[in-house]
Parts: sequence; C-alpha cells; structure tokens
Amino acid sequence: MSLSPEDRLVLARGVRVRFDPVRNCHVLLAPERVLFPCPTSVEILGRLAEARPFGELVAGLAAEFDAPEEEIARDVQALLADLVAQRVVRIEREAGA
Amino acid sequence: MSALGREPWREPPIGLLAELTHRCPLACPYCSNPLELTARERELSTEEWLRVLEEAAALGVLQLHLSGGEPTLRTDLEAIVARARALELYSNLITAGVGVSERRLEALAAAGLDHVQLSVQDVDPEGCDRIGGFKGSLARKVAFARAVRRLGLPLTLNAVVHRHNLDRLERFVELALELGADRLEVAHVQYYGWALANRAALMPTRAQLDRSVEIVKAARERYGDRLLIDFVVPDYYATHPKPCTSGWGRAVILVAPDGRVLPCHAAHTIPGLDFASVKERPLSWIWQESPAFQRFRGLDWMQEPCRSCARREIDFGGCRCQAMQLLGDPEATDPACTLSPHHGRILALAEAEATAPAPPFRYRRLETVAA
Repeated sequence: MSLSPEDRLVLARGVRVRFDPVRNCHVLLAPERVLFPCPTSVEILGRLAEARPFGELVAGLAAEFDAPEEEIARDVQALLADLVAQRVVRIEREAGA
Repeated sequence: MSALGREPWREPPIGLLAELTHRCPLACPYCSNPLELTARERELSTEEWLRVLEEAAALGVLQLHLSGGEPTLRTDLEAIVARARALELYSNLITAGVGVSERRLEALAAAGLDHVQLSVQDVDPEGCDRIGGFKGSLARKVAFARAVRRLGLPLTLNAVVHRHNLDRLERFVELALELGADRLEVAHVQYYGWALANRAALMPTRAQLDRSVEIVKAARERYGDRLLIDFVVPDYYATHPKPCTSGWGRAVILVAPDGRVLPCHAAHTIPGLDFASVKERPLSWIWQESPAFQRFRGLDWMQEPCRSCARREIDFGGCRCQAMQLLGDPEATDPACTLSPHHGRILALAEAEATAPAPPFRYRRLETVAA
C-alpha cells in the first residue's frame, strides 16, 4: 500500500475508539471485534473520525511531535497499512468511498 | 477466597450477550436457545436490564450483543440501547429482521445503536421460509437490510449454513455484496440445544464442508476489500476443537431472559452447576467468584490428553458442554479433538447422519415452554 498526500483516510463504518477506565487503555470497538491499539495508533485513529488527507495527517503529527515530515510519513504509512488491512481505517480515493 | 477456595477471577469480560427474550417470530431448527424456553412473564423488567448494563460496564464489558429470541419484540429496546450508548458500550442488534419497521429502526439508530447483525436463513425464498418457519421472510429481510444501509448503520449478514443451504453459499456472498453489507458471517451450525435435537437433519457432508471452505477462500480473495467474511467450521469434522467462547468464563458473559447468568448458551446442560441470577447477586460476584463460573477456569480440572497438551491454553480442551452432551463427562477432552479417544466415533456419527436421508425438522417453538 502506498499513500499519496491527497488520499483521504477515515475510520471504517462502525468503528469507535474510546478510553477504557477498567483496563486503563484505549480500546477500538468494531462489529464483533475489540482491538487494543498501541499509543501511536490511538494518536492517529483519534484524528480520523472525519475523512482527512494523508498529507494533512502527517503535517499535523509532524508539527505536534516536532519531527521531520518524511520520518513521520514513513512510520504512519506503515501503521496505516496495518489498520487498513484490518479494515479499521478506510481510504477514500478520487472516485469516493 | 470464593466458595471453591480460589482467588476471584480478575480478567474482565469483553462481551455481554443479553438475551432479552426467548419470544421469536421464527422457528429455526438450529436455534441456540435452550429447549425449555422462558415465557414472557418471567423476563427481566426494563429497570433490571438497565441495572445489568450499568453493572456490566463497571465490570469492564465493552460490547453489548442484544439478542434473543427476537430482541425487537421488547418494546423497551430503545431505552436499553440508549443506556448502552450512555455507558459507552458498543451495541450490536442481532435480529431476524422480519417484523421491524423502518421507523423502529430509525428510533434505534437515534438511540445510538452501533451495528446490526441480520440473520438470513437461505437466499432461496422458499428455503428461507422453510428453515425459519415464517412465510415471506426473505423479502422482509432484504427490505430491512436496505433500511439499515439507508440509515448508514454498519451491517453484518449472518448465514447459518447446513446441508439444506450450503449448495447456495456463493449466492449468500452475492446477496451480502448486493445489500452493501460490511461483513458476512458464514457459520456452520454448532450442535447444541435445538441444533443438537436436529443434528441428523442439518449435518453437512464432508464434501459440502470442503466446498464451503473453497468458496469462502475464493470470496475473500475476490471481495476482501469490500466484504469481511468470518467463517465458523462444524467442529465434528475439525482437527482441533474450538476454544468455545474463548474459554469458559474468559471473554463472554450471557444473561438469559429470566436473569440467569451463564458463560455460554449451553452451560445449563452441565449438571451440578448453580447459575445465579442478576436478581440475587451482583454481576461482578457472578463473574469473578461464583463457583459455576470458576468451575472450568485455569487448567486444574483438565484430564489427559488435555492436561499435558501443548494446545491446552489455546483451545482449553474445547467445549465443556459438548464433552457433556456427547460423552456425559464435562471434564473430558472435547471429542471434536482428534486427540480424544472418542473422536473417531463422533466423526463416524456425523458422516452417517450427513449421508442418510434428512429427517424432518423439529422446529423451535415457544409452545414447548416450561412453566
């Protein structure tokens, strides 16, 4: 999977992320599935409640964590590939959903 | 320390299966409800269910499966969904979709429903009517599915498959795609309760099973980007047993319509276990300390070959209820496992039933209710 800055990313239908005070961690809730995302994934997922271009996501994270965009883009792309493969995040391209 | 002299169980449950009612317009012969159904008069009240949700959330439950029977027959379902949303529980409506108006569905969506799972008994209208015992069922289900998608709710089609509908499995996939479903569950019948009573009428042949594996594999390759397909195989033909409900009292807690709390659908079939009710005890005590939930936790109860098996913490010896039903011993290795000395006999039984002419269905009806 290769993402262009214009590719829009959004949480898949039916996916919610919340903090669970009992387990003291974030949980991702989806139809018939519960995942326990790592802190970096939580950071990304929290920005995808509404569709957002990959480039904007990377720029935002680079600014917040004061890191070079290329480095962030590489790390985030790898994490997103995993989240897309797990059908937790969806890519909206030109033609729409 | 509990009555068993054991430490309370500290891992929280993930899912609460709330069987709101045993009433249902359908009469599927593989229903997971017990043979002795609970009458409406003995169902928990709205207030009792709302309290159960509060207790479940505090205990660490994350997902609420609203099931039955047919859960939409409860007129308080909107209130239950709204409370689930307030408690941040992920709510999943498990429905037959035959008597639910679009207005009702809108109200449930407005209350915060997260997901709908719709059962489809067959893609052939006559087959669908015959299996569910309900006339005109498929057209209603299709209309319901379209309403779910119009409202923007995620949709799973649940296809319970067996010898009478397996030859149309490809068309189940096509229907799921046509309806815009997000998920398709292809679940071979698991033989408990009504399904066990109808086993000879439902058991597929090995060839049917093998073909279903191929169809699911091909559909995943072709449509994987659009449709998530979950697949449950019939364990009589399996190599390893299923880690039923991820292990006894480990992930799932079930509350029956009358308030009794169980680790799974069939646990009541194991003699000598006293399942407490939410009317008598806090849900946390039932989960963490009640002797019935503690009974098959850990590894100490296991016999050989489970006790020394490398997979003992993967499948937990398989299903306790199945060991009880087929061998009369709830501590025995599930005979679905090839390591069980009884596996060959169980496999031969399945093969003999699958190749003999199918007997008529014994439909699941509430008339058989015990007072």
